[in-house]
Amino acid sequence: MSIARTIRIPAALVVAAPLLASCKGGEGKSGAAANAAGPAPIAIITPSPSNVFFKSESDAAAARAKELGYEPLVLSHDDDAAKQDQLVDLAISRGAKAIILDNAGADASVAAVRKAKNAGIPTFLIDREINATGVATAQIVSNNYQCATIGAQEFVRLMGEKGKYVELVGKESDTNAQVRSQAYNEVLGQYPKLVQVAKQSANWNQTEAFEKMETLLQAHPDVTGVISGNDTMAKGAAAALKAAGKHVVVVGLDGSPEAIEAIKAGEMDATVLQPAVQMARSAVDQAQSYIKSGKTDHPEKQALDCELVTKDNANQFGVFARKGAA
Amino acid sequence: MMILRLRAYIALIVLVALFAVLSPSFLTTGNLIILTKQVAINAILGIGMTFVILGGGIDLSVGSIVGLCGMVAGWLIADGLVLPMFGIAIFFKVWIVMLLTALVGVGVGVVNGLLVTRFSVTPFIATLGTLYVARGAALLMSGGATFPDLAGHPSLKNTGFPTLGAGSALGLPYPIWVMVVLAAVSAFVARKTPFGRQVYAIGGNEKAAALAGVRVPRVKLLTYVISGFCAAVVGLIITSQLVAAHPATGGSFELNAIAVVVLGGTSLTGGRGTIGGTIIGAFVIGVLFNGMVLLGVSEFWQTVIKGAVIVVAVIVDQLQQRMQQAALAKTPT
Repeated sequence: MSIARTIRIPAALVVAAPLLASCKGGEGKSGAAANAAGPAPIAIITPSPSNVFFKSESDAAAARAKELGYEPLVLSHDDDAAKQDQLVDLAISRGAKAIILDNAGADASVAAVRKAKNAGIPTFLIDREINATGVATAQIVSNNYQCATIGAQEFVRLMGEKGKYVELVGKESDTNAQVRSQAYNEVLGQYPKLVQVAKQSANWNQTEAFEKMETLLQAHPDVTGVISGNDTMAKGAAAALKAAGKHVVVVGLDGSPEAIEAIKAGEMDATVLQPAVQMARSAVDQAQSYIKSGKTDHPEKQALDCELVTKDNANQFGVFARKGAA
Repeated sequence: MMILRLRAYIALIVLVALFAVLSPSFLTTGNLIILTKQVAINAILGIGMTFVILGGGIDLSVGSIVGLCGMVAGWLIADGLVLPMFGIAIFFKVWIVMLLTALVGVGVGVVNGLLVTRFSVTPFIATLGTLYVARGAALLMSGGATFPDLAGHPSLKNTGFPTLGAGSALGLPYPIWVMVVLAAVSAFVARKTPFGRQVYAIGGNEKAAALAGVRVPRVKLLTYVISGFCAAVVGLIITSQLVAAHPATGGSFELNAIAVVVLGGTSLTGGRGTIGGTIIGAFVIGVLFNGMVLLGVSEFWQTVIKGAVIVVAVIVDQLQQRMQQAALAKTPT
């Protein structure tokens, strides 16, 4: 029994070691030693790459870091602030020159960013802000308000300024969901003939959006439009509408590759492309400038505008960027 | 006593009456069909989960199996079975894709079963492990991306996959038929076959069952296989409905499945419960969800109310057990 107990942990390591060795497919290959003569590491920490948006920004940042001669250390915090904190510790101990971070919560991330700063490592936030200034070196986000506004304006145009519509909201505890919904309602509220018959959260989730749309169509079979807080939910709603044999206006937000394909196929009408690739590259560029000269020549808070994607210009966009831009 | 035993039915009737009064679109044929179709997802997962729980186990991996199987189906249809050593990709007819996908679900079930029976890992930990492994595998299959547009291609002879989710027979969508068939077969298996009675026996008292000659490991393993198969079926249905496979599909479905089983009166300690109860439990959750969406109840309240209903159901369950024990104690011997 005691033998079994003593060999248990070594045994687990024996099992894990070859597994790990065979899985080093990610960009986060560890170099020989922390501060060896090799390229200096830059940590890139994002939410789960199971979402193509985060994967794109992570990939773009890693590619740019490599171009500039750094070793990208790619990590994912899975929207867990505690895990994010550990990853920041890891970045500090690995001697990272900078941290590119899509953070795990506006309040919950402040301490981790401050810890990095105190350790002499600048943090460049992308996609999501934190509720503190002067802690991160830069906060480069897309202008969610502007993104949602141009999406809503296109929705108004497609609807002909009238009709009944459904709004699908993202996870209601998420600031981006609130800002987008607010911008939608400010634009759409100006048109008295545009009537919102239902507003439901589908938690950014495709399956949930599918089921909610199916149900809402029972209560409101006469809707002529759906405006959604992101593309994943818009795709779910579009699938439900297609199954019900209905053709209505569907507008999403994010500019995901799947949404752009759906627009080309006529299943969705418009989306708004967030410049994820541009944000990530810009963050790495500013990190490089800060490492070399101690300043970035940019204000801390930077908001990038989004671009409207419709059937007319869908061919001009690749994965979260204009084709040829990255 | 009688009232308590019927609690799931009563809860269902009360909810239906409530929503019928509050929303004019609730009691329409169209809505009831949609509702039942959505119930099918939790009901099918719940059927598999019922066997596992009746046998004294738990299966936390079903949500991940849903995601993994959806990805397998999506991959086989979109890319085909790629054999790099021969430089070819084999595309299968849709029914073969479904069969292979079901086999993947069964395979994960076998792994769960072996972990529990052969390696004596507690069911909670064993299936927690496969929860992570299966989810990771689903993400690895596409590097996190979606397989979009699974309509198939006529030249590859693999069209028709969306029919499972969108088609119907006699006015009822296929997912409902799948639920009805699985429920009927499972109820028969649980009640009338030696295997079914052995599952109850193991959940009631595993040692006694073993002494009575029940081959405990084999029966237990089969319960996990059934659960894996049911999860694969759900993965196919969802992927077919969305005509796209996303690796994160099915997150926290295992909790919904456990909830409907418990709502249906199955004891989490095993040995007591029915398939019929699980179906009713799935309808309680489905009616709640549907009614609250129709009424425009906010997401936060939906979550709170769903949780409250589950907890109240379990409190009633405990009450019932205590009363039964009290009644037994009073019975003169």
